[in-house]
Amino acid sequence: MSIEFDQGKAYTVDRGAPKARNGQGMLAGMGVVFKHFRDAMTKKLDNPSEISGVFTVQYPEERYKLPEAARNFPILLYEDASGQELCTSCFQCERICPPQVIHITQAKDPVSGKAVPAIAEFLIEYDACMSCGLCAEVCPFDAIKMDHEYELSTDVHGGLTIDRAGLMRPISYYEQLAPSFWAEVKDGALKKLQGAIKRRSGLVGIAPQMVEVLKKREPSIQESGVGSQNTAIQNPEPRTEPIELRTQNPEPPSPPTPLPVGEERRSRGEGIAATTEAATPVPTAPASSITDTTAPATAPAIPAPSGDARAEKAAKLVAIRAANAKKNETPEGTP
Amino acid sequence: MTDLLRSIIQDAWPFWLISLIASLITITIIMLAAVGTMMLMVWLERRVVARMQDRLGPNRVGPAGLLQSIADGVKMFTKEDIVPRAADQWVHMLAPIVVVSPVVLIFAVVPWGRGVSPSDFGNGVLFVLAISSISAIGLMMAGWSSSNKFAMLGAMRAVAQLISYEIPAVLALLSAVIVSGSMQLARMPELQGGWPLVGTTLGGPDLGLGWFVFTPVGLVGFVIFFIAILAEGERTPFDIPEADSEIVAGHTTEYSGMKFALFYIGQYVLNFVLSMVATVVFLGGWQGPLLAQLAIGNLAPLGGLLSLVYMLIKVWGLFFVMIWLRGALPRLRVDQLMDFAWKLLLPIALINLFSAALWVTINLWGSSPAWTIKVIIPVVSIDLLGWLETASPIVRQITALIVTAALNIAAIRWVLAINRRTEDEEPEEAMLDVLEQRVA
Repeated sequence: MSIEFDQGKAYTVDRGAPKARNGQGMLAGMGVVFKHFRDAMTKKLDNPSEISGVFTVQYPEERYKLPEAARNFPILLYEDASGQELCTSCFQCERICPPQVIHITQAKDPVSGKAVPAIAEFLIEYDACMSCGLCAEVCPFDAIKMDHEYELSTDVHGGLTIDRAGLMRPISYYEQLAPSFWAEVKDGALKKLQGAIKRRSGLVGIAPQMVEVLKKREPSIQESGVGSQNTAIQNPEPRTEPIELRTQNPEPPSPPTPLPVGEERRSRGEGIAATTEAATPVPTAPASSITDTTAPATAPAIPAPSGDARAEKAAKLVAIRAANAKKNETPEGTP
Repeated sequence: MTDLLRSIIQDAWPFWLISLIASLITITIIMLAAVGTMMLMVWLERRVVARMQDRLGPNRVGPAGLLQSIADGVKMFTKEDIVPRAADQWVHMLAPIVVVSPVVLIFAVVPWGRGVSPSDFGNGVLFVLAISSISAIGLMMAGWSSSNKFAMLGAMRAVAQLISYEIPAVLALLSAVIVSGSMQLARMPELQGGWPLVGTTLGGPDLGLGWFVFTPVGLVGFVIFFIAILAEGERTPFDIPEADSEIVAGHTTEYSGMKFALFYIGQYVLNFVLSMVATVVFLGGWQGPLLAQLAIGNLAPLGGLLSLVYMLIKVWGLFFVMIWLRGALPRLRVDQLMDFAWKLLLPIALINLFSAALWVTINLWGSSPAWTIKVIIPVVSIDLLGWLETASPIVRQITALIVTAALNIAAIRWVLAINRRTEDEEPEEAMLDVLEQRVA
């Protein structure tokens, strides 16, 4: 029933006639509590909305799977096999960053000294980052993404300013974090990377942690007459022989396990000039091999080409390279 | 302990030295047992209450979190001992000692198992009641010397509560004392052998189940005593003296470090030792099945061990009920607490005392001249209870059971009835009256 008065309405609940409760209410309450006690000893709930049973997630041992859209701090992506970075140093993220914690240094062409679309250094101050994710939103090349890693605490002052080597993650790492998100942008991102490689393959940045890996792989590539230290070298016909090139790589690309944060921090990335000069396994960039990042070990069944074919191909490549070099120098030399 | 030492050392050392050493050993064991028990109790309470609230409780330090209390103890030891400038330094320092020491003293008279009693003391019940009241002085000292309003309020509440609940506790114990005819705590369990309800009066194999709690008098006495020790130990729902949502931490507000830990130890040990007293007096103490059969010969040590196990199971069971109540019940208000003690427990305890007297009268009538009362009416002398002298023990037991049970049930019904809120006092009704007046 309810009664209206000046200040509003008052409701009372009709509990029936008052009766003597000789402790039954207390016993009922104790029964409920005991049921919880019993269930908590025996039941482990997955769904906290169930009535009784333990639903504690014991954090360091157990953890919830983060949703794909979870975002903590930004990371940069590189292509798994070739180590080529997706970032073109367009400065969009640096501009939009609200707390201005992103600092990009653009790479310079070692010959001409002009700025090129690659990064020399990329710093993010994680300690001041507000995890808004705007950098990932705005990036036209899908090169910067939000990581799920959250156990970053450190007692090193300045230890949360992460450099290029510490930021770089293989695409497969991000794909495993957010498969559906990556599937949406995958084609576009790889197409843009392909475009960059096609136009100026020697200038595409290589992830610092991949430099050593690629160097090791280099001899076999040189043997095939495809790889070279020349920065100006490009791959003239990437689409014709993707499978062959992969067969000649003796070891498949190392699994995409990023280093722990501490170690990444210690290994300062080298400048782009050094990396591009050191190792440029340029030809390993056909579209099919890039898109097929998860299963590089499927190829070895196909036999290697014969010596004749190899020599022929090498001759062809040298000719095309020379032509390309000329073509590249002309526009860059005359601004 | 003294006898044990004498048997080992023979007469090489003087008697006083052996007594002294034996006493020191006993004291050491008691102190260690007290502190160890307290740590285990804190762990158990935290784990059990956590499960009742669908949590896990401390499970990181040591196996299943067992060492959590030790970690807490280390923390307490390393804390700074802060004494407020306005505090009465000496009283402030003495208060924890005054609170804890009587509590530990109670251990001296409580038997742990058959033949395992620190001190065989003739007036054990009296000693327990006298000693446990001393804590109230310590609480008052703590609250007063802190010169803090919360501490003062907490101490006031604690003392009021202790004094109020002492009386039902005493009356409940007294009923057991009347029935058993002994104040010796160490002897109480021995008197509770035999069969449920009838004890050893009818003969037959000794089941070890003649606990007082199985008689109507003992049941009511046990419930009253248990409620009273909840209040004396400041357990929920009677944790008013340290109601943290109202008065910070009560009398311990201005205490830190080991002094605070002493209050904490004191409270838990008091809970434990009062549970022990309740067990010994009402739940048969170390008495249990198979003990009588293991009393003689080579099996005696095994029997002793079994008696210790029975005792500990009962005491920890009582403590579990305390935890259970803490998980289930909210805190009472101060006036509710006082009402409960004076209007409900005290009348029932008094009537229970009368029931106890009746129980003994009916069972023992005629067995000694002291029990034979004749009602003298000017003309003729009638022996009102004379027929009991000739009745068989079983008839007497049944008569006693019926009389005391009827009396106790009637008493409880009556006390509940007179305490019931009348219909026009219902809070809903009262509110409606107020609102109706406002509307008008």
